[in-house]
Amino acid sequence: MPNNKIHSVLVIVILFLAWEISFHLLNLKWYLLPPPSMILDSIFNNAHLLFLSLLTTLKIAIVALILSVIVSTSFSIVFYFSKFIERSLTPITVILQVTPIIAIAPLISIWVDSSEIATLICAFLVAFFPLLANTIAGFKSTEKKHLELLRLYGANKYQILRFVVIPNALPYFLSGLKISSGLALIGAIVGEFVIGPISGHSGLAYRIIESGYQLDIPKMFGAVFLISLSGIMLFNLVRLISYLILRKWHSSYQQVD
Amino acid sequence: MGLRILSEKERQKNIDDNESNLIAQLQGVSKKFKSTKNESLHDINLEVYQEDFLSILGSSGCGKTTILKMMCGLIKSTAGKINWPTSNFQNSSENPANLSFVFQEPNLLPWMNVYDNIKLPLKIYKENSYKADENIYDIIKLVGLEGFEEYYPRQLSGGMSMRVSIARALVTQPKVLLMDEPFSALDETRRFDLSQEILKIKKEKKLTVVYVTHSIYESVFLSNRIYVMQSNPGKIFEEFDFSNQEKPEDYRFTPQFFEQTKIVSDSLKRAQNAE
Repeated sequence: MPNNKIHSVLVIVILFLAWEISFHLLNLKWYLLPPPSMILDSIFNNAHLLFLSLLTTLKIAIVALILSVIVSTSFSIVFYFSKFIERSLTPITVILQVTPIIAIAPLISIWVDSSEIATLICAFLVAFFPLLANTIAGFKSTEKKHLELLRLYGANKYQILRFVVIPNALPYFLSGLKISSGLALIGAIVGEFVIGPISGHSGLAYRIIESGYQLDIPKMFGAVFLISLSGIMLFNLVRLISYLILRKWHSSYQQVD
Repeated sequence: MGLRILSEKERQKNIDDNESNLIAQLQGVSKKFKSTKNESLHDINLEVYQEDFLSILGSSGCGKTTILKMMCGLIKSTAGKINWPTSNFQNSSENPANLSFVFQEPNLLPWMNVYDNIKLPLKIYKENSYKADENIYDIIKLVGLEGFEEYYPRQLSGGMSMRVSIARALVTQPKVLLMDEPFSALDETRRFDLSQEILKIKKEKKLTVVYVTHSIYESVFLSNRIYVMQSNPGKIFEEFDFSNQEKPEDYRFTPQFFEQTKIVSDSLKRAQNAE
């Protein structure tokens, strides 16, 4: 396992080195493709500004993610108890999913005063559906033999939910959460792009637009770097949660010895 | 007296003689699943007497498992009825613990450790306000799982998992144990060990066991009564009774055992030819 990590870190380091070296060798223009050293420099020079923007974007992504967790699990549980509600609501969730967020974002910004909340709604709408779809798939993948076992002991629907359906759905839910963690961030960025700077302190998307106006390309790259970085952090956070919940029993964390 | 095939008349006599011991009687039970064209089970008549070790022997797909599932109410029959002369052996909402079921595979919940898996039935009963004794550690000891309480199913071997499954079935202190080819996935030695333990536990707890199997050896070794089934549709072909026979300690290696195995084996062959 650590060996694998060394490999991937090494690949990234080599890529950056190649970038830096080819910049100098090929005499590239810094305002078209700044070298990593210049980007790092810019990040440090604008540290305060970029860091606050990072916090704004991260906050929106995380809140959107938490909201999608709450909404998608409650939807799944309601669907579990009522096939009727499931059949009635599923088309709406699909419509929300297939309509591009860029197309709805202007509407949202008209309806909602606060640009922060409007962006949050965008991020939520993007992140919510994969989580819901995965959680429902998890609920439905309950094994028949487990249901029979519970029925044998006279368990009611609520007990079946607690003892079998939810634990069985956890791996599905968590892999949905991995997808959604990335999407929440994308939603937060795209939302701000369309809706405009977030009130209070604008997020990383606005830093990109701003750098474009100022022709400050290194800062633009810096903002992009930070977005990727926060995406990686979010993803790994979900991976850690997933590991903590599943390591004891799930086959994907089987100890190899 | 050794093993013998029961004629219809003898069977009726058996029922009359042992009426007080009769705990379940299937009368003309048939089952047709929606997804299949023909009946899976046709006109099943069988009796379970108290403290029987009853084997239902037949090739795969003859509906043995369906009989068990109908007895514990997981499946409803399409025709016929199952009589329970007293309510002491049937599962009901007042007493859900009379009957226990051991599945073909261990059927453990992978997200619970051994202790919680065994405790699960009691937990459900308790929440549904049915009083059950907490005897988990006695049962764990009985099936030889001490020290494995914290293990998760994926860490257990097939034999160990089966022990957990049996423990879970016994923890409710049932009077009747329904077993669906419980050892079919185990290797020969484990199978034999566990069979012996089941016999021991049955004796100790005065259990009645209904045991579904496709193994002739297992059925002769374990049971005092055997129903041989034919398939398409599943029917009772012949019934054997050797209740009056004492089985010696090393029964498995006696000429008598081989002789009786042959008789049952012939019966199964005839059943297959009759299809």
